[in-house]
Amino acid sequence: MKNFTYHQPTTIAATLPLLDAEWGKTELLAGGTDLLDRQKDYVSQPEKVVSLTGIGGGFREMSSVSPPGVFPPIITIGAGVRLVDIAESKLLAQYPALVQAAGQIAGPQIRNMGTLGGSLCQRNRCWYFRDEHVNCLLKGGRKCFAQEGENQFHAIFTQGHPCVIVHPSTLAPVLIAFGASAEIAGPKGTRTTPVEKLYHAPVKETQREHTLAPNEVLVSVKFSGGGPQFAKFCNASYEVKQKETSDWPLVQAVVAFHFEKDSKIAKGVRVVLGHVAPTPLVSEAAAKSLEGKEVTEANAGLAGEAAVEGARPLSQNRYKVQLLKVAVKRAALLAAGVKPYWEG
Amino acid sequence: MAEGWPKKRRILGTKVKRIDGPAKSTGFAKYSYDINRKGMLQGAVLRSPYPHAKIKSLDTTAARKTPGFKGLVIIAPMPLWLVVKAEGDTLEIKSIPNKKKKEKEIRRTVKVTPTVTILRANKIVKLADLKVDDQVQVEVEQDVVGRELFFVGDEILAVAADTEEHAKDVLRAIKIEYQELAFVVSIEEVLKNPDKKTTPGPQPGNITPGKEFFKGQAADLEAAFKNSDATAEGTYGVPVISHQCLETHGLVAEWDAEGGLTVWASTQATINVMNGLAGRFNIPPTKVRCITHYMGGGFGSKFAPYPEGFAAADLARRAGAAVKIMLDREEEITTAGNRPSAIGSVKIAGNKDGSITGFSIDCHGTPGFTGGATVNLGLLPYIYADGIPTFKRIHTVAYTNAGGARAMRAPGHPQNCVLTEFAVDDLAGKLGIDPLIVRRKNLPPNNPKADKISWAGRRNTVYNEQLDLATKLAGWKEKWHPPGKGKAGTVKHGIGMAIHTWGGFAAGGATPNECHVIINKDGSVTAESSTQDLGTAQRTVTAIVTAEILGLQVSDVVVKIGESQYGYSTGSGGSTTCPAQAPATLLAAQNARNELFKKVAPKLNADPKDLVIEPGKVVDTKNKKEWAWKEFCARLGMDEAKGKGEWSLAISNEPGNENISSGQVGGVQIAEVLVDSETGVVRAKHIVAVQDCGLVVNKLACESQVAGGVIMGLNYALFEENILDKVTGRQVNPDMEFYKLGGLGDMPKITVHMMDMPERGVIGIGEPPTISTAAAIGNAVFNALGVRVPFLPLTPKRVLDAIAKGGAK
Repeated sequence: MKNFTYHQPTTIAATLPLLDAEWGKTELLAGGTDLLDRQKDYVSQPEKVVSLTGIGGGFREMSSVSPPGVFPPIITIGAGVRLVDIAESKLLAQYPALVQAAGQIAGPQIRNMGTLGGSLCQRNRCWYFRDEHVNCLLKGGRKCFAQEGENQFHAIFTQGHPCVIVHPSTLAPVLIAFGASAEIAGPKGTRTTPVEKLYHAPVKETQREHTLAPNEVLVSVKFSGGGPQFAKFCNASYEVKQKETSDWPLVQAVVAFHFEKDSKIAKGVRVVLGHVAPTPLVSEAAAKSLEGKEVTEANAGLAGEAAVEGARPLSQNRYKVQLLKVAVKRAALLAAGVKPYWEG
Repeated sequence: MAEGWPKKRRILGTKVKRIDGPAKSTGFAKYSYDINRKGMLQGAVLRSPYPHAKIKSLDTTAARKTPGFKGLVIIAPMPLWLVVKAEGDTLEIKSIPNKKKKEKEIRRTVKVTPTVTILRANKIVKLADLKVDDQVQVEVEQDVVGRELFFVGDEILAVAADTEEHAKDVLRAIKIEYQELAFVVSIEEVLKNPDKKTTPGPQPGNITPGKEFFKGQAADLEAAFKNSDATAEGTYGVPVISHQCLETHGLVAEWDAEGGLTVWASTQATINVMNGLAGRFNIPPTKVRCITHYMGGGFGSKFAPYPEGFAAADLARRAGAAVKIMLDREEEITTAGNRPSAIGSVKIAGNKDGSITGFSIDCHGTPGFTGGATVNLGLLPYIYADGIPTFKRIHTVAYTNAGGARAMRAPGHPQNCVLTEFAVDDLAGKLGIDPLIVRRKNLPPNNPKADKISWAGRRNTVYNEQLDLATKLAGWKEKWHPPGKGKAGTVKHGIGMAIHTWGGFAAGGATPNECHVIINKDGSVTAESSTQDLGTAQRTVTAIVTAEILGLQVSDVVVKIGESQYGYSTGSGGSTTCPAQAPATLLAAQNARNELFKKVAPKLNADPKDLVIEPGKVVDTKNKKEWAWKEFCARLGMDEAKGKGEWSLAISNEPGNENISSGQVGGVQIAEVLVDSETGVVRAKHIVAVQDCGLVVNKLACESQVAGGVIMGLNYALFEENILDKVTGRQVNPDMEFYKLGGLGDMPKITVHMMDMPERGVIGIGEPPTISTAAAIGNAVFNALGVRVPFLPLTPKRVLDAIAKGGAK
């Protein structure tokens, strides 16, 4: 790999001046499970690597506060918190979707190294993008090779997207469904933005899969689920995976809603889809379909049908449309606590 | 007549843990990858990034000035030349023609520049040092210009540097231009344009057309298809997959001051690597030492030094330092061999009683750019060729611009098994009968003329017994249901079976496998052989056999294997190692024992004929005396007792030796799966494997081999596939991320039943248990859905496509 200078600041404040205003020359390092591979494969060749591993405090901690009248509690997770700690957290009992998603990422080695911030800011896994010898759109080339090539794992919501990657994070859809906000430190101070706004579909070399500026650092995310008093916050993430162990999902669906006291009617429904578009995809149609309804197999199925409206699959991934329908249905049923009909 | 295996087995056939298990699991064992010699350099290989191209120009000037640069070799044959004239900057040389091959003398004049390398006696020499008639090797770097490259990863040159990172920097500093040429990576395209030639080899286009093979007459086959109770038709296929050795290919090479070469090679053939390197560098084999104490998997792909191994040794001789080249994962998958694909259109006919009346198949497969012989589809219809009255088969080899094939665990058999066994179950489905009935009905008959203990004499009986055992262990009777007619629900249950066969004889060839057993005066015992432990627990086999004969414990025997200096051995291929090495060890231990008796008996006033070994002691049966083992061995004084054992296929075929080793085995596997009919995800729940392998040497290792074979077969069924991009010609998944391999969570319960048949002697077990797993899983999925998913791997996409065509709801 190309030689680089290495920096390990101990505070966010000390990190910011080390960053550049443009992408390419400087990369942030957290768990290293993405960046190191890219460097070794000559996909990314930074001149400077700024490690976040020396930063302590809130950056590496998870906290839960329960102000009076707020339920479930407000959770803050530092970007430096490891995936394994999310997967095994006792603070997250009300947030099974996050625990499920974190616990299913890759294998134990990756979860022990990888961080929340890394999951949210990692680069895509497109095999053309990851091949040094293929000059795709995101590397300054003129075309997206997946459009006509091997695209069985690519996006099915492709309209308006010259690059048809899927966003790899399985935590982002969960946090978006929770209405989480991200705290971001930059040269002008700290800003807060909804996690949903962290993502856009990249189309060229000078863009990333997220909207952070090159000189900004994701510090933490915060969420509650935010239902009214005495409501039960229901949420689940369902991934269809070809393998049980160390595999990316083929599709992911996250469904969140709340039941008001003694009610079985889904309110405030959020449906967010993963691994089907260049960004985590909020499905208003699926949410609308389920809103105000009882979460039965039939209604969950209708939400699944709604979720795939407008899908425009590529030559080899039409099957993902079916998988997505099923994932939304199953996530909704899991969130509602219905016994899984698909388990023997 | 040989003494043979002991009638009473004390350790043989029991469960013995691997003697090197702790060393391997603690990291104490040093694999080739772990070897680090003092001052060792790292090598790296420059490869074609294109599937088919010609080298237009090469400039290594900048690369040679890159920090850490230590050497560069062009990957090409390096024949010896004789110096005709060496003057100024000009070298004139002539070839040394091989008269047997009627070669003509070639002369060449070379202008010696800094990119011309001259080697004499494996040392770089200057032009001024040369004399007329010196034997030299001459490398002219610019010769590489114009060379045609046939696949992504095709080797061009190799470099050495002080670190791995610098070696990669050197590669990137090489300026090379390519002329891109037309290429084909899809077998469909080859079949569409059979005359288009983009690969080397004698075939006119990219195809070697098959020859039709017939059993019976065309009219018989037609009549069978017309007059039988049912026929089934289908096109089935299996993909090209990679060996995916966990330890990649490669070696560490180091030359000594006397011109000897030592390599630490990840190989399944120490002697072959020794001979290959000796030939390449024109030194006697005795000057090459190949060390393979531990190796991390070969599966048929590691029989030779290969380009990376030759390059490492060549860089080492030029640099005067040890050089390591181990492939990275991408190189391993794209250049170090594959199992060819097979796609076949099958028609099969049969009657209600289960008899198959006719079978026809037209199939093809691709080995990549070379290795057509490994597209071995000549066994169709697999297992049932003797049972089916009439059939025809034709198979075509289609070459593509991808890395070449190498033998892979049971070459040809898994493909033959899938193409046949899928059709058998589809026919049973059409006939509306249990496929078990079809299998039993069409098994090859026992040959009444053959020896009763031989495979031919009892194969039908063995298969039926295996079917009995397997169906009982799997609960076939309770669990089997007509295809697609299992319990209602989203997740469909299915059960399927398949049958396989394999040879597993002792290794053939002119030179027998050797083992040497040495008994020392302190009672310690060493067993030595150059054979390698491919992962089969061969080291433990050697210890078990020696300990059994000498009345010792397994842990008492020091086993030295994996070094070419310990006598001749063959490569570990074809499941031939244990059936060659176990008998060689048996004979060596018996000969060492006899020698011990001969040397010690006179000192104890005993007759060697009266001496026998019992656990831990030697007994004089006539004089009713006994000595503890160490006490007895102490009488050797300053001497030692040695025994040599030799074994081969030819020796095993000598009369009276049929109980020592033989061959041909059968196996039955039954898979139980759950198929999520909404997602197409297949999970294997339970796999039963019943296997015979003659005399079981180590039951634990045998079971482990079978379980390993099942795991490999499961991956073939559900996950593995080399995916090549038609636009770039590059493999998109040369990794372990999208080249999927099951992890712990994907593994089913595996029930292994070993049939012990000591009367048949030792038979190899490495290959058979991986053959039928994929076919059994595919048939289980058919049983679950009532619709055939015809192509492996059984991905959610393929399963859903099949369901959409009309399967379980």
